[in-house]
Amino acid sequence: MLQLFKIEWLKIRTYRTFWVLFAGFIIFFPVAFYLSAYKYMERMNDAKTMEENLLKALLDAPFVFPRAWHASAWMGGLFFVLIGMLFILLITNEVQYRTHRQNIIDGWSRMDFLKAKFSILIFFVIVSTLLIFIMGLVVGTVFSPSTAKMFDGVKYVGYFALMATLYLVLAFLVAILIKRTGLSIIIYFAIVCIIDNVLWLIFTLKESQVGYYMPLEAVDSLVPNPFKPKMLEKRTVADYTLVIAAVTYIAIYAWVIITYFRKTDLKT
Amino acid sequence: MAILRIENLTKNYGSVKALNNVSFAVPPKTVFGILGPNGSGKTTLLGIVMDILKVSSGSYKWAGEDTPEGLRKKIGTLLETPNFYHYLSAETNLKIAAKIKGHGEADIDKVLQTVNLYERRRSKFNTYSLGMKQRLAIASTLLGDPEILVFDEPTNGLDPAGIAEIRELIKELNRQGKTIIMASHILDEVEKVCTHVAIIQRGVLKTVGSVSEVLNTSGANAASILIELSAADNQHLKNILQQMPGIETISETENGIEVVCPESISAEQVNKFCFDKGIVLGKLNVKRKSLETRFLEITGKQSDR
Repeated sequence: MLQLFKIEWLKIRTYRTFWVLFAGFIIFFPVAFYLSAYKYMERMNDAKTMEENLLKALLDAPFVFPRAWHASAWMGGLFFVLIGMLFILLITNEVQYRTHRQNIIDGWSRMDFLKAKFSILIFFVIVSTLLIFIMGLVVGTVFSPSTAKMFDGVKYVGYFALMATLYLVLAFLVAILIKRTGLSIIIYFAIVCIIDNVLWLIFTLKESQVGYYMPLEAVDSLVPNPFKPKMLEKRTVADYTLVIAAVTYIAIYAWVIITYFRKTDLKT
Repeated sequence: MAILRIENLTKNYGSVKALNNVSFAVPPKTVFGILGPNGSGKTTLLGIVMDILKVSSGSYKWAGEDTPEGLRKKIGTLLETPNFYHYLSAETNLKIAAKIKGHGEADIDKVLQTVNLYERRRSKFNTYSLGMKQRLAIASTLLGDPEILVFDEPTNGLDPAGIAEIRELIKELNRQGKTIIMASHILDEVEKVCTHVAIIQRGVLKTVGSVSEVLNTSGANAASILIELSAADNQHLKNILQQMPGIETISETENGIEVVCPESISAEQVNKFCFDKGIVLGKLNVKRKSLETRFLEITGKQSDR
C-alpha cells in the first residue's frame, strides 16, 4: 500500500491544481476558523445587554473547550468539499489522460489501481483530521478560561474522520462511474448540496427520524451546526446508530466501486 | 510453446461484434503482425490481452506461470495512443511507468536516448509534438528490456525518418531474440517488418501464418503470380489477353495492365501469345504476389472493409 502511495505521490507532487486545492483547504480552513473564533469571542466579551447575555447562555460559546472540537469539526466539514473536488479530479484525470489504462498495461491489477487511489483517500482523511484536531486544540487553548474537561468533546474529531471518509468514498464512486471531470463535480455537488438535503427534508416530515439516516445526512447529523440552539435540535436517534449507518454506506459504496471497476472495459 | 495463445475470442459492443471467434498463437521470437483496416478489431484484441477490455467469451493465455499482472510487468506495451500525465516531464512519466513495472528505473536515460528525446527529458509531456509523444511511448515500452513487446500502430504520427528509425528498431529488437506483436493497418509496414501476419476484417480472422505462407497459399488463388505488362496500345493488349486461356484476372493500372495467373503460366508463354497476336510488349514484369494483392483478395475491395 505504501509503495502504491509513493507512486501516486509521484503523480501529484508537481501538479499545480493539486497544490492549489490542497492549500485552499489547509490554509483557508485554519485562518477562517481562527478569525471567526476571534471575532465571536470579542463580541461575547463586549456583550452588555440582556439579550446578548441570553444569546451567550444559549449558545454556550462554541469556541471554548470542550465545544471547540465540535466547532472545528463542523467548520472543517464546510471546507472539506474542496478535498472532495480534488479527489474527483485526481481520478477523472486518469481517465482523461488514459493513464488508468496505461497503469494496468504497465502491470497493476485493477485492484492495485483502486488501492492506489484509496491510499490517497486515506492520506486526505489523516491530514484533514490532524488539522481539525490541531485547530480545535489551538482555538480551545487560546479562548478557553480553563482547560478542565478539555478532551470531553474530542469524539467530534473522530466523527469528522468518519464524515471525511464517507464524503471521499462518495466522490470516488461518482468519479469512477461518471468519468468526466466537469460532470462528476457537478453531480457530486448536486448530491452534497441538494439531493441529500431534499431527502432529509422529505424523510423528516411529520417528526420522522428516517431523514437522519440519509446517505450524507448520517455524518452531517453527527456534527450539527454548533451555532444552532440545542432546543431547535429535533434529532432523537443515538449517535452510534448514525455511525453504524455511515460505516454501512462506506461499505456499500466501496463494494460498488470494486465490483464495477473490476469488470468494466476501461474506455475514455 | 506459443508466447500468446488466443482461443475463440469474442467481444461484443451491444449488437456489434468487434471480435468474432478469433483464435491464433504467436510463436516465440517472431515479429507477429496483426493487419486489418481501421475499426477491424486490432486494438480491441490487444486491449483484451492487456486486461483493459473484458472478453465476452473465449480466452487468452500468455506463456509463463506468473499472475496476469506479473506477466504484464514483463511486457512493453504501446496501446493505441501514448498515455501519459500531461503536466509531468517525460522523465517523471517514465519513472512512474518503471515503478509500476517494478524494474527499469535505471534504463530511463538509455531509452530516452534510443528515441532521441534525452535533451527534452525535462520538458512537460503537453509541450511535445505528436511524433515526440509517440517516441516517448516507445521509450516507455523499452524500460526493463522486456522479452515481449506489443506495439499498436507504432509509427503513428512519425515523420518519414522517424518511421524508418522505428521500423529498424523493431527489426533490431527481433534480432536480439525478442518477440514483437504489432498491430498495423499499413500493409507496407507489415510486409517490411513482420515475419508472421494475422489478417482480421470486421472482427473475423481471415488468415494467419508466416508472411510467405500467407502470400503463397490458401484458397482458390493458391500459387498465383502477378504479371505487369504494357504495350503501345494497352486497350488492344487487354482485349488480346482476355483471349488467353488460364488467366484469372486482368486489370488496368495507370502504367499498363496487371494480370493474375497460375504459376503454371510463364512470362515466356504470355510474351509469345501476345507476339503471335501481333503485339510487341513494351514491358513485361513478373512479380511475386505482394501482401497488398493478397490483402485485397482476402478482404475484398470496398473501402467499408
